[in-house]
Amino acid sequence: MDKQFVFTDEELIARFQNGDEQAYVELVNRYRDRLMTFVYRFVNDEVIAEDIVQDTLVKLYTHKDYYRNIAKFSTWIYTIAANLAKTELRKKKSRKVTYLSQMGPEERDYELPAVEPDTDELAQSEYIENKIQAAIQKLPLHFRTVTILRDIQELSYEEISKIVDVPLGTVKSRINRARIQLQKELKDLK
Amino acid sequence: MNRYQFEAAISAYIENDLNLLERQAFESYMDSNPDAKALVKNIRSTMQSVKGLNDLKTSSVFMSNLFKRIEFEKNRSSKRIVERPAKSIFGFTPLYASLMAVLVASFIGVGVNLWPDNSLSENTTPAFTGNITSTPANLGGNPVTEKSPTLVANETKTDSADTTINNKKNFRLDDNVKFVKKQR
Repeated sequence: MDKQFVFTDEELIARFQNGDEQAYVELVNRYRDRLMTFVYRFVNDEVIAEDIVQDTLVKLYTHKDYYRNIAKFSTWIYTIAANLAKTELRKKKSRKVTYLSQMGPEERDYELPAVEPDTDELAQSEYIENKIQAAIQKLPLHFRTVTILRDIQELSYEEISKIVDVPLGTVKSRINRARIQLQKELKDLK
Repeated sequence: MNRYQFEAAISAYIENDLNLLERQAFESYMDSNPDAKALVKNIRSTMQSVKGLNDLKTSSVFMSNLFKRIEFEKNRSSKRIVERPAKSIFGFTPLYASLMAVLVASFIGVGVNLWPDNSLSENTTPAFTGNITSTPANLGGNPVTEKSPTLVANETKTDSADTTINNKKNFRLDDNVKFVKKQR
């Protein structure tokens, strides 16, 4: 078995800081899908989410020396991703041109969605997933962040507290209120 | 427990974060309020649904795009890849650390100089320069072991600010003063 897969995240970032670029590749492989899930649930757009994840990992490369082994590596990288996602949401509000015109067909795999949604073809699970995603999007930003980090990413309360930079009690309170609000939105799914 | 307290404790109950007494109070409220029980059930169900959401994956061109961007960042400018100095003292560079140390030392020095001096000044009481255990100056050639009349007289003339000396004089008035009232 390759020794790289035995290293902890903190060991990998330390090796990367010492010049081992293969350690960086390993970190990318570990976190790209997790960050994609987190950011997508936050911004509700796959294309933008992938851009943000790339921005996060580029920042990891260019600012690797800013990580200090005081907090967990996951805390650090989720903080970067969350901040970039929030910035993107603020930009999205003022954006007049839709993202469809900004993409080149040669750059990425992309399928144009059907203009007329055909509900007969939608699987029940896909319908439920869309409903849940819509309900998450209705949450205020500060509720949405903690809900995604806790209920989807399954991070600990302590780690979430460090990522969003609020006290532990506030995190627990926000998650509780977010869950109450979510269950109201999803009552008809029962 | 009221409704507000109940709702505030729902997540803690579901995640087994309540102590025994809190749990008993919570369950007691839940058992006596069917809508409260339904609320907890709905929230559990919602949490399960959210946990069951599919994980997303990055596209097939993600890695190639990422490496292109990294190459671009590398070649764009040498300053782009920000390097922190390897040696730092409490997060500061050596230069800033030394400047901070000088500033802190200056503050301490100024503070010590401005601190009020609590020692007695020379104008209030004379400083005792002699050895407190040594015997007084021998006026008569022999060491003084008992108080002599001359030393008693001398003691009364010394330090008037010394509060340990009892300067009160006792007057006996038995035969000198007669109370007028007794004559009536």
